[in-house]
Amino acid sequence: MSEYLLEISHVSKYFQGLVAINDLSMKVKKGQIYGIIGPNGAGKTTLFNCITGIYRPEIGQILWKGKDIKGISPHKIAELGILRTFQTIRLFSEMSVAENIMSGRHIKSKQRWYNGVIPTPAYYKDEKANWKKVGELMDFFHLSEFATTPAGDLSYGIQRRIEMARALAAEPELLILDEPAAGLNEHETLELTQTIRKIQAMGVTIMMIEHDMEMVMSLCEYITVINFGAKISEGVPSFIQDDPVVIEAYIGSDEDDDNE
Amino acid sequence: MMNKTSLIAIALLVFMGFFPLFVDSAWLAVGTTFLVFAVVALSQDIILGRAGVFHMGHALFFGLGAYTTAILNVNFGLPILATWVPAVLVPMLVAFIMVAPIIHLRGDYLLVATIGFNIIFIQVLENDVFGLTGGPNGLFGIDVVRVLGYDFSSQTHMYYMAFILLGITLFIMRNLDKSKFGRAMFYIHKDEIAAQSMGINVRYFKLYAFILGAGIAGAAGSMFSVQYSAVSPEAFNVTQSIMFFTIVLVGGSASLPGVLIGTFIMFVLPEMFREFETARYLVFGIAMILTMILRPRGIWPVRFGNIPDFLKKGVK
Repeated sequence: MSEYLLEISHVSKYFQGLVAINDLSMKVKKGQIYGIIGPNGAGKTTLFNCITGIYRPEIGQILWKGKDIKGISPHKIAELGILRTFQTIRLFSEMSVAENIMSGRHIKSKQRWYNGVIPTPAYYKDEKANWKKVGELMDFFHLSEFATTPAGDLSYGIQRRIEMARALAAEPELLILDEPAAGLNEHETLELTQTIRKIQAMGVTIMMIEHDMEMVMSLCEYITVINFGAKISEGVPSFIQDDPVVIEAYIGSDEDDDNE
Repeated sequence: MMNKTSLIAIALLVFMGFFPLFVDSAWLAVGTTFLVFAVVALSQDIILGRAGVFHMGHALFFGLGAYTTAILNVNFGLPILATWVPAVLVPMLVAFIMVAPIIHLRGDYLLVATIGFNIIFIQVLENDVFGLTGGPNGLFGIDVVRVLGYDFSSQTHMYYMAFILLGITLFIMRNLDKSKFGRAMFYIHKDEIAAQSMGINVRYFKLYAFILGAGIAGAAGSMFSVQYSAVSPEAFNVTQSIMFFTIVLVGGSASLPGVLIGTFIMFVLPEMFREFETARYLVFGIAMILTMILRPRGIWPVRFGNIPDFLKKGVK
């Protein structure tokens, strides 16, 4: 098996003739925190949508542990151990925080088809074990006091934590974070940075898109910079920070138009 | 733990259990119809309220159950008891064959497709396909339930059989809500993309909802055909489907008390106000409109957050 967990090789994605991603390649090592940066509209989220099966790229390969997963449906990607959060938070907003996190346990639950109608001893055991795991995650993300609160009623920062807890509940091998610090204040961002380090320490590989440069530079071990759907630079943070191509891309573009 | 809702539920259960002792046969029949329609409405709620699929052809599954019992009994002489299992399985099978190719359709498109199936179903019944359905007049002379030489033929028997069926249905739905299957339906309903990204196979769980809902509606149909000892096509047309759809939305999607209230309002209240003739439908029409404006989530909306107690210790 390859030393890389995820290999993206020469991937292109078009939308009605427009190039969203152009011949993009990158390799993510197991246990890494991998950063993807670039101006708004560069195609970062599109890339994540290609990895998680929401989009199917027209050209190229996406290799997960050496096997091509391009075009596989999103729920199968999750079953493989690739879980994500969303740039625009997507929680089940009417449902309680605990129920939201429980959705992450779906693929780990061993309930059989008839357990939707009739409970069995195995069902009770499974149900209890999964709720217990939800309890652990609520402790980890300091969400216990909101267990029964509808997720939609909570603040932005808390909702971001719920989304991460939900993804982690599925015990992913690769956690994909789409702008996890967007909308957070300085204190929350600091907390998030520590949380991400703890998640890495659990052995989870992390890929993240983030605009907060300070956070990206301190967390990520390797970074790819994208502009207009194509890679313009890659390397360790210290290299990226001084790369004239990257500086040019950021200064040359209007910052934060928001619509990606 | 005894909360207000479970107290109301127990009081209602006791009342329903003793109901036949207090009323005449006309009201007993209304009571039985309420129970049967409540079961159909609850099964519609699995598909519409839980999985969030806009399905407006539910009378089809209800009718399939009714006609399965009627055809097997009247045409083939099978005892009613022997028709129960087929009356559940046939709608489930038809649901699978019918819905699997269209399950990926989005809301409004799927709604039109399910109405289409319902219309075709009525056409099939009215045209007396294979000489089995009795055409526009339907089938008559359906037997009563007989077990070991004992006949369950009175209205009171019908009532209690329907009562037990409702009990079984509520038991199933409670289990569904507390399992990964019921939760998966809710997740799909609330955000399909997020649900997929959590590993939920949207197609599988929507089909699961349809097949389970069809089976329960079929059981209710079988009961319905025995209660009236006859079946005819107009009891299962699109208007009926619209009624079941409306009950769920007016009562409260995915809310067990809500759907029961909805059934009461749509089927029992009209009986109570019979002397007002058709004017009552004006009132009901207005009531439906007002409910959607004032309480868009239904009269008794669903409440989430039913989680094990040990997770609530941190809640302030």
